[in-house]
Amino acid sequence: MHKVDAIVVGAGPAGTTAALTLALAGARVVLLERAETPGGKNMFGGMVVACAAPEELLPGFWQDAPWERQVVKRVLTVVGEHSATTVAYHGDGSAADSAPAAARVSSDALVGTGLTLFRPRFDRWYAERARDAGVTLLTGCLVEGLVLQNGRVSGVRVARPDGVLEAPVVVLCDGTLSLLGKDAGLHQGFRPDQLALGVRALYRLPEEQIAERFGLVGQQGATQEFLGCTEGVRGGGFVYTQTETLAVGVVLHLDSLKIRCLAPYQLLERFVASPYVATLIRGGRLVEYSAHLLPEGGLKMVPRLSGAGVLVAGDAAALCYTNGLAQEGMNLAMTSGKLAGEVAVEAVAAGDVSAARLAAYDERLRESFVLRDMKTYDRAVHLLHRDRIFSAYPKMVGALMDGLYRSDCEPKRRLGRLGRTAMGGRVALRELVVDLVEAGRSYL
Amino acid sequence: MNIEGIFDVTSYRVNTEAHIRVVHERCAGCSVRACTFACPARCYTWSEERERVEFAYEACLECGTCLVLCDQGALDWHYPRGGFGVRFRGT
Ligand SMILES: Cc1cc2nc3c(=O)[nH]c(=O)nc-3n(C[C@H](O)[C@H](O)[C@H](O)COP(=O)(O)OP(=O)(O)OC[C@H]3O[C@@H](n4cnc5c(N)ncnc54)[C@H](O)[C@@H]3O)c2cc1C
Ligand code: SF4
Ligand code: SF4
Repeated sequence: MHKVDAIVVGAGPAGTTAALTLALAGARVVLLERAETPGGKNMFGGMVVACAAPEELLPGFWQDAPWERQVVKRVLTVVGEHSATTVAYHGDGSAADSAPAAARVSSDALVGTGLTLFRPRFDRWYAERARDAGVTLLTGCLVEGLVLQNGRVSGVRVARPDGVLEAPVVVLCDGTLSLLGKDAGLHQGFRPDQLALGVRALYRLPEEQIAERFGLVGQQGATQEFLGCTEGVRGGGFVYTQTETLAVGVVLHLDSLKIRCLAPYQLLERFVASPYVATLIRGGRLVEYSAHLLPEGGLKMVPRLSGAGVLVAGDAAALCYTNGLAQEGMNLAMTSGKLAGEVAVEAVAAGDVSAARLAAYDERLRESFVLRDMKTYDRAVHLLHRDRIFSAYPKMVGALMDGLYRSDCEPKRRLGRLGRTAMGGRVALRELVVDLVEAGRSYL
Repeated sequence: MNIEGIFDVTSYRVNTEAHIRVVHERCAGCSVRACTFACPARCYTWSEERERVEFAYEACLECGTCLVLCDQGALDWHYPRGGFGVRFRGT
């Protein structure tokens, strides 16, 4: 007889949601986290899309959760050689404009909107809610490996006197670098062309200055993504607004970083010093530097999602993507965590944790928006592995806009001619056509 | 921004033991030495004197970049003991 029904590894958004789902269904569940406090090892951009999963488990969730700003403004900046061109989307902010902190909009109204937050605060708070619901949370507890019995995962090894913890089901939510998923034979290892490194500097600034610089009021927030700011390395830059801080970072594809022999902190330093970022953070005080990997391999990277006695959710299952405009990961982690929890509950109740039974999880993920969105944007993910998008095209856009706005007492040229000049030497017409066709197929 | 300052603002609970070990013999065939430039915390440096990479674990951000980029399998890579290592505060 087992003392617990399920073990969940990793108290990030995926693991905490899985554990909470199990506990709410009356299962005995242990949640293991290697950090001293949940979130202590975690970093993201970041803006989470407030998804339905935790709201369904804990009504009022998004209203109570410790988030920073509600994003109404999303900016994309393409950095050229001598200029930057920006497209800004600004919602009317009807939900977030002047609401004082005490009178936040209802939780339901928050679902589907973008919220900025700090992972050390959010993850910790969320894990405490799970504990309130009956989850046994053990922190400072590193899972060193899995216990395998006849090809079945039957428990985990931890650095504690008792050493081994057993349960019918183990849910792996150990993040991008899922060493345990490899242990379980669910994936074959890590590939530089499927992973990106994010490095981030956090700057403290007065709340009013942030509002002024980004054109925000009240709890409104903004996100800004940059393309063409990574010196030819595939990737991009970002600035996210929190209440009194700005998170500034670059995301870099590992294979591309290696080929270019560039250091991530140097790219971050130059990004921060560029005129388009320097003006935003002027006067800010640097308070933290952090780094984390993220999955960028699309559907091809998704491992086997289940096996005998084991399920995998969140980044550990590579359920994370960017389509060039939005980065989604936390919402996919929470949603997959909930589905994993539900399938675990049913399997344990039925006394059948075989691979065939747990494969119900794969099916539910395929039906949910998680794998459907990843499928929708899979072409875009691969398009975003073409080097030209990160250096030649941004420069081209810059040259074109320089030409459009130049007024130097010379006769003006038509857009087509300017375009040809902007392309000059940077991209061949054939490449441009090929990429445009692929872009059409990726997004239309 | 002063690049030096960036490495001083992150908080750690430093363990007494290194969690990553370089198996120097395996570095022989490596020409790129990605660990020396790609590590975001500058944990690896090339020592001309000793003709090998030197590794200091204390500032490690536990990202895994070195593990993924080392194609010689020269790293005996682990997370630090539970509760030790980097401590992001995010505020
Ligand atoms: C730079 C960057 C920017 C991002 N921006 C965004 C964004 O704007 N929006 C968005 O939605 N997503 C974003 N993401 C992605 C998002 O962070 C992830 O998708 C999300 O954190 C996945 O949650 P998770 O629970 O699966 O994994 P994680 O959050 O990584 O949690 C895994 C947990 O497991 C623990 N753990 C790992 N191994 C063990 C072990 N052996 N024993 C015990 N505990 C262990 C870890 O300490 C951690 O707490 C970004 C990521 C990065 C790196
Ligand atoms: S990348 Fe690997 S093999 Fe090369 S120097 Fe670094 S540790 Fe050694
Ligand atoms: S895990 Fe990351 S921070 Fe630590 S040594 Fe490796 S590359 Fe550097």
